[in-house]
Amino acid sequence: MKKILFSLVALTFLLLAACSSDSNGNNEQGSNGNEEGGESAADQELIYATTSDAPGLSPIDTNDSVSSNVVDQVFETLFVRNSDTGEIEPRLAESYETPDDTTWVIELKEGIEFHDGTPFNAEAVKYTFETLIDPERAAPRASLLAPVESVEVEDEYTVVINTKEPYGAMLAALSHSNSAIVSPEADQNGDINQEPVGTGPYKFVEWSKGDQIVLEKNEDYWRGEPGLDKVTFKVVPSVSTAISMMETGEVHFIDGVTSEHKSRIEGNDSFELITKDGTPVYNLGFNYEHEPMNDVEFRKAVSHALNRDSYVETLDGLGVRSNSIVGPQVFGYDESNEDLGYEYDPEKAKEIVEENGFDSETYHMLVPNRDAYINMGEIVQAQLSEVGINVEMEMMEWGTFLDVATEGEFDLTFLSWSNVTGDGSELLYPNLHSDNIGSSNRARYANDEFDQLVEASRDTTDQEARKEFLVEANQLAVEDAIWIPMHHGVIAAAVHESVKGLELESTGRWELYQVTRE
Amino acid sequence: MTTQTVSAKSIKNVEKESVFKDTFKRILKNKLAVVGLVIISIQVLLAIFAPLLTSYAPDTQNLSARELPIGSEGHWLGTDNHGRDMWSRIVYGARISILVGIGSVGLGLLGGVVLGLLSGYYRKLDGIIMRLMDLLFAFPGILLAMLIIAILGTSLVNVVIAISIWSIPNCARIVRGSVLSTKKEEYILAQRSLGSSDRRIMFKHILPNITAPIIVFATMRMATAILSTSALSYLGLGAQPPTPEWGAMIAAGQDYMWTSPHMTIVPGIAIMLVVFAFNVVGDGLRDALDPNMDLN
Repeated sequence: MKKILFSLVALTFLLLAACSSDSNGNNEQGSNGNEEGGESAADQELIYATTSDAPGLSPIDTNDSVSSNVVDQVFETLFVRNSDTGEIEPRLAESYETPDDTTWVIELKEGIEFHDGTPFNAEAVKYTFETLIDPERAAPRASLLAPVESVEVEDEYTVVINTKEPYGAMLAALSHSNSAIVSPEADQNGDINQEPVGTGPYKFVEWSKGDQIVLEKNEDYWRGEPGLDKVTFKVVPSVSTAISMMETGEVHFIDGVTSEHKSRIEGNDSFELITKDGTPVYNLGFNYEHEPMNDVEFRKAVSHALNRDSYVETLDGLGVRSNSIVGPQVFGYDESNEDLGYEYDPEKAKEIVEENGFDSETYHMLVPNRDAYINMGEIVQAQLSEVGINVEMEMMEWGTFLDVATEGEFDLTFLSWSNVTGDGSELLYPNLHSDNIGSSNRARYANDEFDQLVEASRDTTDQEARKEFLVEANQLAVEDAIWIPMHHGVIAAAVHESVKGLELESTGRWELYQVTRE
Repeated sequence: MTTQTVSAKSIKNVEKESVFKDTFKRILKNKLAVVGLVIISIQVLLAIFAPLLTSYAPDTQNLSARELPIGSEGHWLGTDNHGRDMWSRIVYGARISILVGIGSVGLGLLGGVVLGLLSGYYRKLDGIIMRLMDLLFAFPGILLAMLIIAILGTSLVNVVIAISIWSIPNCARIVRGSVLSTKKEEYILAQRSLGSSDRRIMFKHILPNITAPIIVFATMRMATAILSTSALSYLGLGAQPPTPEWGAMIAAGQDYMWTSPHMTIVPGIAIMLVVFAFNVVGDGLRDALDPNMDLN
């Protein structure tokens, strides 16, 4: 009888574990005692929950969205993309001109200081950009300024950037989080990756690894005092836990909300779900070096087999259906591209499969171990099996997945690109240009005609001409079906009703400068 | 000589039958064990006749009928987040849990019985084998299974291997104990003086006399094996999607707890019932097979 009791208890625990598997982090978070995190209206503190800790806090030494979320509050870029119009506007820059195709003369705003008192001037800009492209620093996003030949200081507030060849995406690159301007003083005398010093509205206070990052208001901020006194970035590994913490008032803001949590958030009156069509794109990708994935007929068959309309429906509004690889929110998109590609037509898919004998093998599909991709994977596998294409799923932890996918050890896989610059060149060049096979071109796609079009889109400064090249390159990639766009991301965040003034950018970035709590 | 053997055999058969009948009768008196037997029989029937009992394949998706609640038309247990019929998945999951249970317990018994017999019978081997078993005992069971899976890779077959290895030391210890007491019996001494080989004594004379504790162990172990498989699949170390393994179904459903709780509750109840059933039947068997134990 003891045994029975024991097994019943064990089972209850298993069931409980299923219900609250992610509550383990909860107590720990609570015991950290955020006494000042109470509910009083005057309290201008915002707590944001992130599923993983930031790898670093320096714009130069990181390239991931978690780090960028902090970087965007502490540092500033020369230019920013207006979240409403999508136009690029000056931030730390005052104005710019391009006397010729390879020269950018940028006037800077005057009278701005870094948090450590170092003046912001042309020297700081020169220092930042030279450090970013310095091979010794090995900055992960050095490619942003790869075409830059030299950076010169013309006078205290004028900087001149010379490029080796015309660089069309310069302004987009200069508005990227990773090209934010750092304090030269702080970088030379300390580690800004641990203790960041920028010009932004919030100053760095402390970072307890794996737990939280705390920022405080920069009272001398040049655009005027920011709204919040204190900002805390809390690490909460699971989204469900983070939502529970929002319910208890321990957290005020989360982003990256997925469809399975949507109704829970919408069902709570004290939360608001903010969404915005975004730049990320999620694709089913093929390995161009494996048979028969290198056969366009195979890729066509897969494309015809997939009912992407019903897939996107499962996202419950948190995904946009488009046939174009360059998404609707990305520079280089044209509506005419929606007519491209291969629509859902299982009969046709079956025909192609039978004609070419694609049903004789089982293909290896590599899937990252994250909810969104598992969902995609199961749906794709089921739909492909209906037309006779057999796919075996292998799931992998995110970091391992990236390595294995880079090595090309897959037949089919899922790839996504968040595209922080919002520029089509910055999507097509890293992911599908033959220069990047072995690194970010995980599909190992090599197509001369495509390469030339993408290069042209990067080497031209005339934005109209750039767009045309991108539209054409996109058309080629879609017709070649090297990537099948599953959906384009919708940026979704949940905020507590007390949080006012938060605006999301289509790239998923956000700034807390205007945010207040009521 | 021939006639003698025949008559000896028939006597043995009669004895065996009566022991079996006796045990069965005693089990039937234990109401809880009967409930367990019924549940297990239902699960076995579900597993065998799965295709006849379901109108959908377990991995057929219907994206326009997602997350239907319990009691929906055509899907009495509802559907999951991909519109797959929950009833089909539960029924095919019964198949997996039975097969995994039998497979891992069978393999574990094979290893455990042989090692236990050797260790109990030969004093010289005893020390080595039992220290090895102690080594395996030193690891918490589920951790050992996770370690083995980390080495072999994630798949249901590897889960079976991992759980069977984890069962070996327990089984070996039980068998060894029984062998130690049985080998002192006079009929074993008689066999030895008649010149029977060690192998013959071990497998023909000792093993049949220690089946009772092995059967009880195996039944109880089925419960542990099924529960562990679900636990490992829940952690993503066992069955890979779209396999309708119960633990994996709970894991997949946990993000939908607030909107579609049936996605976790239904497989959870399935696991609970089956594990409960094997445990009470194991208990009943132990009571029925142990003549020294007085229930009243």
